[in-house]
Amino acid sequence: MTFNWLLSSAALVSRVGSRSVFTSSKPDTANPNWVRVGLTFGSAAFLWGLLFKQHSADVHESNVRNGLE
Amino acid sequence: MGLIPDDAKSIPPPGIVNRNSMWLGTAGWLTAMLQNAINHRPPLRAGVHRQVLLATVGWFLGYHLTKYENYCYAKHDRDMHEYIRLHPEEFPEKEKKTFAEIVEPFYPVR
Repeated sequence: MTFNWLLSSAALVSRVGSRSVFTSSKPDTANPNWVRVGLTFGSAAFLWGLLFKQHSADVHESNVRNGLE
Repeated sequence: MGLIPDDAKSIPPPGIVNRNSMWLGTAGWLTAMLQNAINHRPPLRAGVHRQVLLATVGWFLGYHLTKYENYCYAKHDRDMHEYIRLHPEEFPEKEKKTFAEIVEPFYPVR
């Protein structure tokens, strides 16, 4: 009894056992979510900037430590 | 550098373009295209912002992975050379023979 009860109670709480894929509106491909697009491009640009900054800092630090600058 | 020790700053860093970056950047780009394909969208023309972001993330991770890889190899080389320097008795100089001394006379059998 307890095992059955536990299993059936779990189904009410767990979100993995069954999925409901009915959303109220279809994904609208004609009107992009410009905020999300902007944030995505912005974070990509930020990562590139971070990469170039880190690289130039590494080059400078390595030159300093090896007595070339 | 969070996960990379301070020692790694003494070796020259990898270039912006490096093998791990190219590989992981391509993997990120393919992930975005796979997501497009799964959702029945045109693979290349849809979600360009997603393709760019995932490729960038892959490139970034590849750069730091290459940096860590260079550090590991450099540390290994340094330890190996230090060991060789401290134990010269285990690495004797082998006497070098020329080929003339090794090669046996050639008796053709025709």
